[in-house]
Amino acid sequence: MAVMCIFGQIPSAPPPQYKESDFLTRVRRLTVEGKRAGEGYWSPDGQRIVFQSEREPGNPFYQIYTLDLSTGETARVSPGIGKTTCPFFRPGSDEILFASTHADPKSKELQDEELAFRASGKERRYSWDYDPEMDIYVYSQKTDALKRLTTARGYDAEGSYSPDGQWIVFSSMRNAYNRTLSAEEQKLLEVNPSYFAEIFIMHADGSGQKQLTNTAGYDGGPFFTPDGSRIVWRRFDEKGLIADVWTMKPDGSDQKRITDFGSMSWAPYMHPSGEYILFASNKLGFENFEIFMVDSQGTKEPVRVTYSDGFDGLPVPSPDGTRLAWTSSRSGGAAGQLFLADWNHEKALEAIRRAPLRKPKS
Amino acid sequence: MMMRRFPVVVALASAVVLHAGAQQAPTGTRAVVEALASERFEGRLAGSNGERMAGDYIASQLAKIGAKPLPGRDGYFLPFDFTAGSRDGGSSLTVASALHPSAFKTTADVQALSFSDNAEVSGPVVFAGYGIVVPDSQNFGYDNYAGLDVKNKIVLVLRYFPEDADQKTRAILARYADLRYKAMAARQRGAVAMLVVAGPHSPNAGDTIPMSFDTALAGSGLVAASISGKVAGEIFSAAPENTLDAAQKALDSGNPHVPGFTFPNLTVTVRADVVREKQSGRNVAAYLPATDAPGNSADNAEKPWVVLGAHYDHLGRGANGNSLAGKDEMGRVHFGADDNASGTAAVLAIGEELSRQPRRRNVMLTLWSGEEFGLIGSSAFMATPPIPTDRIEAYLNFDMVGRMQDNKLTVQALGTSPVWAKIIEQANVSAGFDLQLQQDPYQPTDVASFNLASVPCLTFFTGTHADYHRPTDTADKIDYADLDRVVRFAASITRKLEDLDRAPQFTKVDQSLPSGAGRAGVRVFTGTIPDYSTEMKGLLLSGVIGGGPAEQAGLQKGDVIVEIAGQSITNIYDYTFALELLKIGQPAKVVYLRNGQRKDTTLTPAARK
Ligand SMILES: [Zn+2]
Repeated sequence: MAVMCIFGQIPSAPPPQYKESDFLTRVRRLTVEGKRAGEGYWSPDGQRIVFQSEREPGNPFYQIYTLDLSTGETARVSPGIGKTTCPFFRPGSDEILFASTHADPKSKELQDEELAFRASGKERRYSWDYDPEMDIYVYSQKTDALKRLTTARGYDAEGSYSPDGQWIVFSSMRNAYNRTLSAEEQKLLEVNPSYFAEIFIMHADGSGQKQLTNTAGYDGGPFFTPDGSRIVWRRFDEKGLIADVWTMKPDGSDQKRITDFGSMSWAPYMHPSGEYILFASNKLGFENFEIFMVDSQGTKEPVRVTYSDGFDGLPVPSPDGTRLAWTSSRSGGAAGQLFLADWNHEKALEAIRRAPLRKPKS
Repeated sequence: MMMRRFPVVVALASAVVLHAGAQQAPTGTRAVVEALASERFEGRLAGSNGERMAGDYIASQLAKIGAKPLPGRDGYFLPFDFTAGSRDGGSSLTVASALHPSAFKTTADVQALSFSDNAEVSGPVVFAGYGIVVPDSQNFGYDNYAGLDVKNKIVLVLRYFPEDADQKTRAILARYADLRYKAMAARQRGAVAMLVVAGPHSPNAGDTIPMSFDTALAGSGLVAASISGKVAGEIFSAAPENTLDAAQKALDSGNPHVPGFTFPNLTVTVRADVVREKQSGRNVAAYLPATDAPGNSADNAEKPWVVLGAHYDHLGRGANGNSLAGKDEMGRVHFGADDNASGTAAVLAIGEELSRQPRRRNVMLTLWSGEEFGLIGSSAFMATPPIPTDRIEAYLNFDMVGRMQDNKLTVQALGTSPVWAKIIEQANVSAGFDLQLQQDPYQPTDVASFNLASVPCLTFFTGTHADYHRPTDTADKIDYADLDRVVRFAASITRKLEDLDRAPQFTKVDQSLPSGAGRAGVRVFTGTIPDYSTEMKGLLLSGVIGGGPAEQAGLQKGDVIVEIAGQSITNIYDYTFALELLKIGQPAKVVYLRNGQRKDTTLTPAARK
């Protein structure tokens, strides 16, 4: 009888409920020093993480650091002045890519201005300013050499390599500066500069820069899939309020919408198994970002992964798929820090399998 | 016979063990916790026989590690004296009016306050309302002594603060309603004695105040006693047109203009007799000498020190007022496995690990007593330091580190030095805790004594729980695997400190509590167990006491209280403060978050004696 009852209940069971520990165990805080840290990306051997952090004395902006996961040692790999963001290890080499404004002669002045502002005790809402002086650089850990890969005026950042280390996809706002804007566009540039951002691709040496997307609204945060056959990125609507996860081929063709989640869904990154994409969304409240995952084809509804107060986003699985690094403000305060946890891939697969089909909307 | 021979055998065995010295395998955190939290040590109340035996046990463990007595000493014990409690030794009061003199002798009618001077005084009596004076700096204008001359007189005041005043008034007056603060106000105006009565409209109406546990050695400079409603009635009979009931009613609106008055034709004689029980406790301290300290002072004490500490005392059978034992648990041994056999075991285990490695600084291992009475052991250490305190470069404290939940480890007092963030970040990459970090060093544990002495410090804590300060805090509930992870984490932090080229810099953290005047003390019981480990907005509950008002209101572990009786709650201080303003038996609306959803309920506070 008992067995019959249990069997009898399955078809009418409600969609499964999960909790954070189903997917993430041994949650640990990786960064402590400095006001905020985030955007952690793994070295191909899984031994190190490269990330951005506000911890350089005298510089209130992000600089780029590597963290050795066996010793806990950190080392700065960016110049130390100006703003930097979005680092990435180049597979098969000693190089690390990131975006930086240090070539801007006003860098020091801007640092001092920001420090004075903070010393005045005022607080402003944290926002990213899409500095048009931001360009992509590659740093050699062996020789300390720093090579500039982009020169176009306009924010060039959010770069990442193909698995073979030969290509870089990135986001650029150069289209706001390489022509005369209409009055309406000029106004847009002032209030919402990311409207002009599109995905670009180039060779690892910076040659052959080519635009892949061409739609109004912020296209950004592109990463190759683990087999290098596609690019996954997020596309905002024109107003910059709704974003969804998309994929395309590296030549820009076959652009395919993966989520239709009616919220700000961004920072997608594919799990090394190729089975699913992790991303962040404010589905549950404008300021309450949580990590979700969705099958790589986007046939199902996303499954929620994190269940903690504060911001959880920028999920990046380790190369072997057993751990997850992400940025979270779960430890209090508004500023994020880097977190690490063990990742339950089997449970994730099961949850995705059991997720309801995506309702067709568009 | 067998029974008599048995201890001899044990003694021989332990002698052999001590000889084996370094070959002896480390005792391990489990064995230490199980030993300290056993029936044998009777809850390790400072000054008790159980505390002495626990101290001896700890000394044997320090010897086993090979730790040495502090420089210039030949043993591990650092004794200190303290007041373990007070009792009334026979206070009395006589009311001599023209009509009928009467005398009172029992503690039900007259009982000295613990901070009273021991003396007999006589004089006329002045009724001074609630005896509250709000300092001018507050711009509030409330002074129960306005227009009164109390010089060389006895003042009679009401306990607590006006019961029916509006929220804001109560909030301010509550801050100046502490009995010590009232006594200070009376003494400053020249009164020779202060009598306190709980008015008919207050909690504990008409009862004298039980002699509270109070560690202060010094008296307050005047005679202070609580009296029953009956005695107060006797005094009020000298003013036939007035009664205690009416006098309290007039004051309870919070109206600042209700005058006090002198009772006509009345002389009261009051004799206060407080017997303070002096006892002595023992800190246990030893050190691992530096093997290659920078500089080459021949005097070991002058070399730089890193101090690791934990209190080993606990509550005995919980008779001293800080027990949270339920009715059916009262009087039982409070084993204190988490609080703080766990921290003691951690310090010994870290010492054991460090003893096998070279050291650039002396490492002191200190196990404090008297912590539960108010950080007495560590304060005594700082008052008469056995080594120069300016040579102490850092202090790490462990208090309740055995009950980890969800991989969360709280580390507090990071604000005391800029070196902590980097050291903790590095150490945690391999330790892998979900760290809950707090800057504030003003914690209710021995770390506060070191912060006051400008020593960079940290304290480790795995969070509170429903067994906190109850006989159910037992060794079987300790998570030893995670306790050992805390040990490795702290040992690695200590090694990083050892490797620093320079002493860590101390930075002062401002205290976030309103300071100055005393506080009335929480007088209501809600049955909530706050989680002290987070700095999240609101008050996170780590549990509720079974059968208490919070449980009856449907509150549970994980709920976050954000508002109580209209007062918004952003932290533990707000909460404590809001509790002071609740009225016993009067339902209060509680707004809380459960799984991010805002809900409300009604909680009816009960009385706390
Ligand atoms: Zn305690």
